[in-house]
Amino acid sequence: MRTSSMTLLLAALLALPTPATAALRVVTTTEGLAALAREVAGDRASVESLSRGVQDPHFVDANPMLAVKLRDADLLVDVGLDLEVGWLPPLVNQSRNAAIQPGGPRRLTAASAIQVLDVPTGVVDRSRGDLHPGGNPHFLADPRRAAQVARAIAARLAELDPTGAAVYQARSAAFTARLEAALAGWRAQLAPLAGRKLFTHHRTLSYFLDWTGLVSAGEMEPRPGTPPPSSHLAELVTLARKEGIRACVVENYYDTKADALVARRVGGTVVSIPGDVGGDPAAASYLAWIDLLVQRISAAVR
Amino acid sequence: MRSPYLASLLAVALASPLVAGAVDPASDAAPWARLLVLPDISAVGSFAAVHDSADLARFSPREGPQGPAGKPTFLFQELELGLQGVIDPYFRANVFISFSPGGASVEEAYLTTTALPGGLQVKAGQLYAPFGRLNLLHPHTWEFADAPLARGRLLASETLGGPGVDLLWLTPLPWFAELQLAAQTTDPYDAGDGRLTGIAKLQQYLALGDAVTLGLGLSAARRDEGAGAWRDLGNVDLFLKYRPLAGRAYLTLQAELTTRRFRGHPPAAIPAEAAFQGDGANGAGGYAQLAWRQDTWFGYGLRYDRAPSAGEAAPGVEQRWSAVGNWYFTEFSRLALQVAHDQRPGGASDWEAILHLEFIMGAHGAHPF
Repeated sequence: MRTSSMTLLLAALLALPTPATAALRVVTTTEGLAALAREVAGDRASVESLSRGVQDPHFVDANPMLAVKLRDADLLVDVGLDLEVGWLPPLVNQSRNAAIQPGGPRRLTAASAIQVLDVPTGVVDRSRGDLHPGGNPHFLADPRRAAQVARAIAARLAELDPTGAAVYQARSAAFTARLEAALAGWRAQLAPLAGRKLFTHHRTLSYFLDWTGLVSAGEMEPRPGTPPPSSHLAELVTLARKEGIRACVVENYYDTKADALVARRVGGTVVSIPGDVGGDPAAASYLAWIDLLVQRISAAVR
Repeated sequence: MRSPYLASLLAVALASPLVAGAVDPASDAAPWARLLVLPDISAVGSFAAVHDSADLARFSPREGPQGPAGKPTFLFQELELGLQGVIDPYFRANVFISFSPGGASVEEAYLTTTALPGGLQVKAGQLYAPFGRLNLLHPHTWEFADAPLARGRLLASETLGGPGVDLLWLTPLPWFAELQLAAQTTDPYDAGDGRLTGIAKLQQYLALGDAVTLGLGLSAARRDEGAGAWRDLGNVDLFLKYRPLAGRAYLTLQAELTTRRFRGHPPAAIPAEAAFQGDGANGAGGYAQLAWRQDTWFGYGLRYDRAPSAGEAAPGVEQRWSAVGNWYFTEFSRLALQVAHDQRPGGASDWEAILHLEFIMGAHGAHPF
């Protein structure tokens, strides 16, 4: 009995994760950020995301198991702009990792690398819904901004791991080059569609629309984080009929009932998209994710 | 360190043909940053309308919303003011002040270290005791509109806590395993005075796949009752959460078993609340609850709890079955309808209905886990 217990214990210990051979352990809050970190870090860092691509990043659980990952992080990359306000702060506090506290040397808030859209003006209170007071945090759907974030990650990695600085810089440049090549193709595909209108569920596509030239005619949520009443959906239906809007684009972590109702009334389509890298089997990398968004949305508004 | 980084980032960004617009390093994406020296300020208000079929003050004394037998009653329960923020490079502070019909009180006001090595953390001040699961949670994070009977009957009328120091150690194990050792002056249910209490808790969480998390906590406390007497408290808490990655739905099973044992008491020193118990000063109780969050807007729960009877009820065990439905208007307000049936020793029983309204104003708090 004693021998078998010891054997089990030994087996359990052997099953524990072994120290990574990579120079750095990078933890990100989203799969999109993890994909960018992998692009620029290569084998020099192990990269892990706290959330999965199929999850709504606003509502990830503050699961203490995630604090264990943060405990061992050499670098935490978060989106910022209050996207993770409901779950990241308690995890960071629980992690005991002082260096990843906000403003810490091993904390990179990606929003600091980009120009932010949808910064609310005027009275900012929750009568306008669950606003992000600092602006819209869904900027990775714009590849131009993703390139900026990738460069910021490379710069921070170079600070933390100076011996790998040349590698990070080279990989970041290579990623940017691949992104530019892909952008040329996407631009050619999207150019004829500039100005076409669509509905979104939540205001998640502001940055995507900013670079594609497509236009949002409204959201299913009358205000962020509030359920759509039938009167609001009726207004959207009227608007859709008047302006010929046929596409209701919705991330696959949202309930699609409202989107389906509007689409059915106007003879349109619900366009289900992954909200992040990994949110669909066909969106395994950052480039694949953006390509999938472009293909599905352009097909729906064509 | 930060400025050179931002400057180099700006230089690189401006050199790129991909850039949509110039990065504004001064903005740091937070236009309100100059205000961040202020703490996060929040207020949580809770109100209720209740209907009880029995005189609970006599036959089932407890905390929580309640009214006279047979008379529907509106209640202001509590307004909790929260102030949370960083003090300096070494500490955070959390302050929660409760305003209720009974007056104002400081529920918690404590410092937490932010930079200790070795997985250590220290909390010091007025704080909830690290004992069990529910004892550490503020009421607005509960699925139900009130606490299980056992908490009030065996621990403290509201929350077991008080001034003291709590040492926390996050072990280097690959799962979440945290050990807490605390020394606090506590004033349990009807004890009448604050006395030194030593508390130990081991909390563990394990991931069982992507969607399931298992939590297990073991807590023990010993309180000095004077004259060589002690009050020993023990608790086991279990938490199982199933949440598919996509969507907001989840299912949780939560259960706690609490025991209380007095040691070394001469009969005259047995606390007043023990007098109603058939088995003397010792007691045990607990609850088990199942909560289902259907989606963003609705959630439901079922709870069974049992505890030593109290007040003028016959000695024995009181059992209670509760069902609750929660309507979350948004993340910041909810309406709960709870119906409960009590079964007291000797065959007496009663019904209770609670309509509970709650709002959260100000800083966005953490989602409860």
